[in-house]
Amino acid sequence: MYKPAVIAKNSFKELLRKKGLQVLLVFGLILIGSSRLFSFLTPGEEMKMIKDVGLSTIEFFGALIVIFGAIGALSSEVEKKTLYTLLAKPLKRRDFVLGKFLGLSLATLLNFLLMAIFFIGLLLFKEHTVSSGIFKALILILFELFLIAAIALAVSTFASPAFTMIFSLFLYLVGHLIGYGHSLMEQTESALLKAAGTLFYRIIPNFENFNIRDKVAVDIFVRWNYLVKTIGYSLIYIAVALLIGIYFFQKREI
Amino acid sequence: MSAVIKIENLTKIYKLSKRREVTGLLNFNLEVEEGEIFGLLGPNGSGKTTLLKIMLGLISPTKGKVEILGKRMDNVEVKKDIGFLPENPYYYEYLTGSELLDFYGDIFDLPENVKRRRSQELLSTVGLAKVKHMVLRNYSKGMLERIGLACALLNNPKLLILDEPTTGLDPIGGRETRDLLLGLKKEGKTILLSSHFLSEVERICDRIGILDQGRLLAVGRLKELLKERKVETFEDLFIKIVKNNV
Repeated sequence: MYKPAVIAKNSFKELLRKKGLQVLLVFGLILIGSSRLFSFLTPGEEMKMIKDVGLSTIEFFGALIVIFGAIGALSSEVEKKTLYTLLAKPLKRRDFVLGKFLGLSLATLLNFLLMAIFFIGLLLFKEHTVSSGIFKALILILFELFLIAAIALAVSTFASPAFTMIFSLFLYLVGHLIGYGHSLMEQTESALLKAAGTLFYRIIPNFENFNIRDKVAVDIFVRWNYLVKTIGYSLIYIAVALLIGIYFFQKREI
Repeated sequence: MSAVIKIENLTKIYKLSKRREVTGLLNFNLEVEEGEIFGLLGPNGSGKTTLLKIMLGLISPTKGKVEILGKRMDNVEVKKDIGFLPENPYYYEYLTGSELLDFYGDIFDLPENVKRRRSQELLSTVGLAKVKHMVLRNYSKGMLERIGLACALLNNPKLLILDEPTTGLDPIGGRETRDLLLGLKKEGKTILLSSHFLSEVERICDRIGILDQGRLLAVGRLKELLKERKVETFEDLFIKIVKNNV
């Protein structure tokens, strides 16, 4: 059996048993289910609200599940000393990190599917139809979650669980604001600030690229071409994050 | 006989900060021959765990080299022939005994039929066949020690590295483990045993090494060391060597 697959299978089993992640999932489902209640904010636009709140919830709770999952995936192996026994066996550290990422991605996919199916069920119940835009928005959210998983896991290979959590949440927030921040920096007259803004814009993943909720909520068509480009963008960042994670984990003293 | 373990000038310095360093091992040299049981002794913090961690590739040495079965330790393939039992073994508590062996069998790339046969044999050998479907969360300390031993033997290793293998065992379990180790020696396996139990080491080890503050202070056959240091008991020998080093 392919070694990362062995690690992934075990990691997936472990993540499914984490009570904290189950609680987050339940909260996510409750929020999706109660999204209709938010329609009082925009009278007459109930469906828009359900779509917007539903997609936002899947993304936000998905991100929380991924970040907490990534922290547990590696740090629990170190804390419980299971890593000590595992790496004493013929297992390359590279395979361990890849396996952890695959396991985390599987758990992410499962949590995502549960929330997405519930959300689609709710839309079908209300509207009897689901536009292709909803599926496109969900696909982009899934790849955003895979990217967050890769980054959080990479950071956890060299940082403490607390730092990994703070850094990942911070990056998630900054990644959603980076486009806005960059356009602000562009307006400044300082060349240094402009250069710094461009540098950060190039390095930090722009999570807003994965956000087509506003368009989907009002049924604006999103081209498949955009999806392919954004998925490619996420795959490049995932590869870089995993390479960084593998590099630091190779050097880590257990 | 050839050396299964060959350690040359091994030094490990832990850098705590820019100015503070702690010596884990200092110019450590050791050879362990094929088919022998070698006992590694030393007080807490003497460097035993550091040595085992370097041997298993968990940490890297500051200088020096380790060769196991003729291969350098940075070659992950050499671990196919090593069985390791850590002190107070921790395993995935949500797996059953049988699932744990299955998981490690996959890590060792054992064919399905070999994995199944070895698992069944070893679960019987360590007396856990009846509880193989019980999750490890419900295992006692002694049972965890036994499943750890089964894991260490799963790949039919040429070299066994055991860190305090009888710590959690009752007297019967301790005797069974010692008998098992002597049986493995008869099969030609090499065993490196790290232990605090002098009596255990005295009973089963062919040679011993006493370690303190990262240095190997004495190595040889117990009888020869007793004669050389002019002491009667193993305990006296251990105390004399360690105290002389302070």
